[in-house]
Formats: sequence, structure tokens, C-alpha cells
Amino acid sequence: MKKKYADAKLDMTPMIDVVFQLIIFFITTVDMESKALETKVRMAMSPNGPVEETKDPRTVIVDVDKDGNIQIQQTTLSEGQLLAVLKKAVVASGQSTPVVIRGDYQAKHEQIKRVMDIAGRAGLWKLRFAALKEKA
Amino acid sequence: MARKRRGIDAPEGELEMTPMIDVVFQLLIYFIVTIKPVDVVTNLDVFRPAPNPNQPPDTKPPNLLRLGVYQDGYTLNDNPVSLDAMDSALARIARIDAGQTIMITVSAFSEHGALVRALDLCAKNGLRSLSVVSASN
Repeated sequence: MKKKYADAKLDMTPMIDVVFQLIIFFITTVDMESKALETKVRMAMSPNGPVEETKDPRTVIVDVDKDGNIQIQQTTLSEGQLLAVLKKAVVASGQSTPVVIRGDYQAKHEQIKRVMDIAGRAGLWKLRFAALKEKA
Repeated sequence: MARKRRGIDAPEGELEMTPMIDVVFQLLIYFIVTIKPVDVVTNLDVFRPAPNPNQPPDTKPPNLLRLGVYQDGYTLNDNPVSLDAMDSALARIARIDAGQTIMITVSAFSEHGALVRALDLCAKNGLRSLSVVSASN
């Protein structure tokens, strides 16, 4: 080893080690956001739906599973809590706040209706239904 | 052992590539195996008319099309239609006026997937102005 330094040649090994560490760090952390939005809801297919180019950071995604449980970011909410969350969103970012309803394809409409009615009470009339354009 | 071999095989101070390439391949295989392909998600925009009776009455467009989603099928202006028939009817309507409002009445007991399918057909034909109202039955 000592000889190497004496030759004043650059030892690449530690640098490559660090680079690998960095690569692994970024690969594991970049997924965090999608983890928070992960859902067990099986969405209906919509192969003709419009392609989303831009994502509004204000978007509120409400999940409705097939038993009618309402969730935001994997936290189950009661109707009152959802109303409070949506009202807060309206105060914070206005009536144009996009609300995306991710409903299970087997959910009954009355369960989706509950979310739509609560959104309406919070003053949000423009709603979006999430669907799968392409299944991976 | 490795050091000994390096001492013999590789010229001094030169980087040996073999172990690095081994590791890179290991990483490559690991990521190929663990990577989860992402579903492409689309958002279907609808307008939810206010249920508030105090609000001023709607100025109903004269050319309002009524589409019904029930648990056992679809209706178009109260006539039962198949999905294919609805698709061609919507295409015809879109050719005349793609901006016209379509009122989608959804039965409480129909599946959400049925509504999404109807919205998908509207999106396919370029119909943008969609109102979703809920029927009580």
C-alpha cells in the first residue's frame, strides 16, 4: 500500500465506494414520495383518459376502497375529518384545489358520492377520478 | 489472498477492474429484479353540480344529454344502451358539438368502475363538459 502512495498514483477504490454509496442512497430515497401515495385501491381502467403532463402540488388525493373507507395518504378518515381536511385545503389554496378521487372499481357509487358530497360542502365542485391508463 | 494475487498479476498501482465490474453487475441484477414498473394513471375531470337548493337555478343548456349509469347497464336519454352503442352515439354527438354538457346520472348501487368506463368513453370522444349527479336508487 505504502508503495502506491509513493508512486503518487491516484487510488480510485475509495472514490468508487463513495459513488456507489451515493447511488444507493439516492435510489432508496427517491421512492419515498410514491410510497406515501401508494394504495391498495384497484383503480378502473381508462385507456382513453387524457395524459397528465403537469402535477399540481396542491392536489388532494382521496382514496376510497371497496368497503367505502376514506383514506388520504394511507390514513383513514371519518367524514367529519375529511370535511375538515378539504376545508383547510380550500382556505390554504383556494376553490381551484384539485381533488382526485381514487376509487376502487368495485366500490359502490354511494361511497364515492359521500366523498363528492363532502367535497361539495367544502366548496370544491371540480373533481377528478383517477383511473389506470396503462397497467404495468 | 487477493492482495497477493494482485501483487503478482496486476502492475503496481493500477486499478483492477474485475471486482468493480462484479459489483456493478450485482447491483444491476438487484435493481432489475426489485424494480416495480409504475402504472400510468390518468385523471378524468368531472363537474359536480351543487346540491344546495339555495343556489340560483341552473341555466340549463338546451342540448343536454342524459347518460345513466345503473348497476345493470347504461342508458342514454333514458333508453338502455350497450357500451358499444353508447360509444358510437357519443362519437356522433361529439362531431356535432364536443363542448356540450353531458349529465351523467349514477345509481347509488352501481360500481365505480362502471362510471369510470362511461367517463372513459366521453374522454375518448373528446367530450369535456361532464356533470355527475347521483340518483338515489
